[in-house]
Amino acid sequence: MAGLATLHPSSKAAARGWSDLTIRNLFIIPTLLFLIIFNVFPLIYSLGYSFTDFRASVNEPVKFVGLANYRELLNDPRIWNNFWVTAKYVMVSVTGQMVIGFGLALLLNRKIPAKGLITTLLMLPMMMSAAVVGLFWRLLYDPSWGPLNYVLGLGNLAWLSDANLALYAVAITDIWMWAPFVMLLSLAGLSAVPQHLYEAAAIDRAGSWYTFFHITLPLVSPLLLIALIFRTMEAFKTFDIAYILSTQPTTELVSIKLYKFAFQEWQTGKSCALAYIVLIMVLAITNIYVKYLNKAKER
Amino acid sequence: MLRRTFLSLTLGTAMALSGAFSATAQAEELTIFWAEWDPANYLQELANIYTAETGVTITVQTTPWPDFQTKTFAEFNAKGDAFDMVVGDSQWTGAGSTGGHYVDLTDFYAKHKVLDSMAPATVKAYAEYPGNSGKYWSIPLEGDAAGWAYRKDWFEDPKEMEAFKAKYGYDLAVPKTYKELRDIAEFFYRPDEKRDGIAIYTDNSYDAMLMGIEGTIFSYGGELGDYSTYKVDGILNTPTNAEAVEMYKQLYGFTPPNWGKTFFQESNQAITENLAAMSLNFFAFFPALANKATNPNADVTGYFANPAGPGGAQHAALGGQGISIVSYSKKQEESMKFLEWFIKEETQKKWAELGGYTCNKAVLESEAFRKATPYNEAFYQTMFMVKDFWAVPEYAELLTQINNNIYPYIISGEGGSAQAVLDNVAKEWTETFKKYGRGG
Amino acid sequence: MAVVTSSRKKVWNRVAIAAVLVIAIAFLSPLYWIGSTAFKPRSLATSVPPTVFFQPEITPFIKLFTKRVQLTKPVDPAVYDAAPWYEQRIYDGGERILRVGPNIQMSQYPNRFMNSLIVAIISTFLAVSMGTITAYGFSRFKMAGESDWLFFILSTRMLPPIVVAIPMYLMYRTVGLNDSHIGLIILYTAFNLSFSVWLMKGFMDEIPKEYEEAALVDGYTRMQSFFKIVLPEAVTGIAATSVFCFITAWNEYAFALIMTNRRAQTAPPFIPSQIGSGLADWTVIAAGTFLFILPVAIFTFMLRNHLLRGVTFGAIRK
Repeated sequence: MAGLATLHPSSKAAARGWSDLTIRNLFIIPTLLFLIIFNVFPLIYSLGYSFTDFRASVNEPVKFVGLANYRELLNDPRIWNNFWVTAKYVMVSVTGQMVIGFGLALLLNRKIPAKGLITTLLMLPMMMSAAVVGLFWRLLYDPSWGPLNYVLGLGNLAWLSDANLALYAVAITDIWMWAPFVMLLSLAGLSAVPQHLYEAAAIDRAGSWYTFFHITLPLVSPLLLIALIFRTMEAFKTFDIAYILSTQPTTELVSIKLYKFAFQEWQTGKSCALAYIVLIMVLAITNIYVKYLNKAKER
Repeated sequence: MLRRTFLSLTLGTAMALSGAFSATAQAEELTIFWAEWDPANYLQELANIYTAETGVTITVQTTPWPDFQTKTFAEFNAKGDAFDMVVGDSQWTGAGSTGGHYVDLTDFYAKHKVLDSMAPATVKAYAEYPGNSGKYWSIPLEGDAAGWAYRKDWFEDPKEMEAFKAKYGYDLAVPKTYKELRDIAEFFYRPDEKRDGIAIYTDNSYDAMLMGIEGTIFSYGGELGDYSTYKVDGILNTPTNAEAVEMYKQLYGFTPPNWGKTFFQESNQAITENLAAMSLNFFAFFPALANKATNPNADVTGYFANPAGPGGAQHAALGGQGISIVSYSKKQEESMKFLEWFIKEETQKKWAELGGYTCNKAVLESEAFRKATPYNEAFYQTMFMVKDFWAVPEYAELLTQINNNIYPYIISGEGGSAQAVLDNVAKEWTETFKKYGRGG
Repeated sequence: MAVVTSSRKKVWNRVAIAAVLVIAIAFLSPLYWIGSTAFKPRSLATSVPPTVFFQPEITPFIKLFTKRVQLTKPVDPAVYDAAPWYEQRIYDGGERILRVGPNIQMSQYPNRFMNSLIVAIISTFLAVSMGTITAYGFSRFKMAGESDWLFFILSTRMLPPIVVAIPMYLMYRTVGLNDSHIGLIILYTAFNLSFSVWLMKGFMDEIPKEYEEAALVDGYTRMQSFFKIVLPEAVTGIAATSVFCFITAWNEYAFALIMTNRRAQTAPPFIPSQIGSGLADWTVIAAGTFLFILPVAIFTFMLRNHLLRGVTFGAIRK
């Protein structure tokens, strides 16, 4: 990719030891094979099932049903609700993480006592199992025996039972867990901005807003974009936290619906069809993202 | 240097792997799978006695309730032999038997005269499938049903009694009907005093909320459908059933704050934390309330059976499980031997003493059992009026469908009216049965 | 003028430090609360107002490591007095420790913890080492359709794991990889591989190829130069990648729940199951979480200096 030198496989180093071509194949092909076997192969397997009424829980002959599963799913307003909920969730939670994470990094990017300790401690939430985080936050949110409402003086605010509030409660938990990840990336970016640029700006008497928008932000933006990509990907996949915190229809993410189809109702065929719909959407999103990422890297 | 590190790491990997594989099960070891709750611990204790007698080690492996169904069927569908026996929900008998996951115990029943020792209602509920077929798939292990715990001190407070009589025109006492239940819940609902009327099940991730609603519907004299003809329309969505659902929604209005995803633990906590006057729960969860070490209000906690509906019918939702042998187990013989031991009357007595809810007729009816705990009497009464959910292989789909429709109505008032919601469920259930070719 | 700016800057600095403190406290108080719950008596775990200062006790850890059962009535004083201190703590909580014959029955926690260690360490090692060599391959050699392959690798990370779970589950069931360490190791390696390739590629791109060329001129083979020149340069990246891969594998819940049972199940599905039966006992899960976070925390702390630079995905040039 941009500007980075690549040694051609037939360069003269190939004269000694293994040839570069051998090394390249040895280094790359096992990984690709591994991913193909454990990602592509299962997907081909499930593509077949998505056209059938297969149920893994019963010993009944499998019938080919054509596009019936897809038709049923796309005509089901509940499925569309799942997608809408997921979109809303990704937006709220990723925005929150980006704003808080980057904000924290900006604040931390100076001489602060015990900075290393604070940074390491802040990373603890993302080292925890999401299932346990979900459980504890359910307790935290509870107005009758949890501490949150008491500390914030929110009285009987029913975080998780209120259909409109529940999704935000789930997002807040996710933000708590992952904003430090964004912070870490942003800090890495900020610490790489050469100090002399700031000094030059100070000599020019540039305002702090100007410095921020014209020096800091452009230099950090590739890393912010990477944080954005990874957090969006992860938010799209959220399962444990949301599943444990709330079972409101307004918090039923696509991955929860998939789990229910596949492992509670054992509608294997239908769940494979839904998996494919998700897959196509995800690939479309990935494509757009990677284009931006490449552009940002080229800058 | 680095290469050596790589090599040693690889070697370490290989060694760890081989170590992991040598840890496979020995012959004299059985695994019983159940959900995580007190009865499973009591069963482990009972099984330890068996181990002492025979040398066969038995592990009761557990998983939290919300995952229990998923985990069991994941193992079944993989035809895995991780579990030799499963203490499965009554709704599973359909899927367990037709799917070939359970070993047919009909011969075992005949040989050991199980029908003579176990209470008939429990055999019907936990073991027989299809209904009245004379084919048995499990041994009733833990009888259970939904009942209520209440705060005796609140009920017997003279000031409260007086105020209640003034407001409702009759004496404050253990509710005999759902209307009284509702009145008492309303009476004690005082959010400003951090005191609420009633605690009910509302978790819609498995069958929790449905157990509460179903009990109400049954007491109102309603049914969930005709279990032999699979007819639903006109049976599930009757005006009476709509009233019952409406009642449950009203009760939700008198629950503690944030009561939107609650099950047995929250129900018990409502009593221990002084939140509610009455609390719905399965009897198997009451031991924690009876002990002063876990419930500061243990001495003032009373128990009663599910009240009657307006028509006088009185029923309760069935809980509890039977124990089945998994057909993929390689130790079916050994498992049979354990079951033989388990159904002996001495074992059943011991089981009841430890805290298990025996289904053995003789033990159940004995004075000693009924007096053993403060709630056993209410349990004994309840076991004669239990009714259950569908036990068809696709019951999980039926569960999702009723949860999808009723939950938003109870919690947020979505879906118009109770009648409209039930009409919708009836429609979806009928379609589901049609899809699987059941009924006419 | 200069004086004014510097004093304004000082004020700003103080405001910033204050803000950091406030946010840090907001983020850390749930952590303190979880950690402290691991040392609380059961009744204090759900007290409102929340208990901040209390006499810490290790009862939750005794509970975590033993198999217990709820007592329906208080224990006989004679039995209580005869019991060892740790058993008395359990009696105090209204429970009794199960016994097999005379021996105390342990919980499955140590066993699950071991499984977690085996699975997380091996899968992290595999994902990082495969990711490193593949990243090197992509970084140094030309390959037809290179960007397509890289896109393919990234896309495997984008799928909700549950999408792969269904066919994976069916596949494992035919091959017999259910409930095995190897099964989980393969799964977690596959999860982390794409992340590892992408992260490491950024690093490999940053290492000047002149270093290797010099080594080649000195008579090293390509393999030697990779091991002796490139790998030591990439240590920072390897450290950062390992931390993230380890965290993912260490905490994975859904697959461990569905695909494994007694033999290979890891700790994440076990810890929530310790919430208790009749009444929620938060202290035990807090204790389980507390011990479970230690290996990751220590691992991260050891590698903390690499982390900041390590997460840059090669987006920052030196």
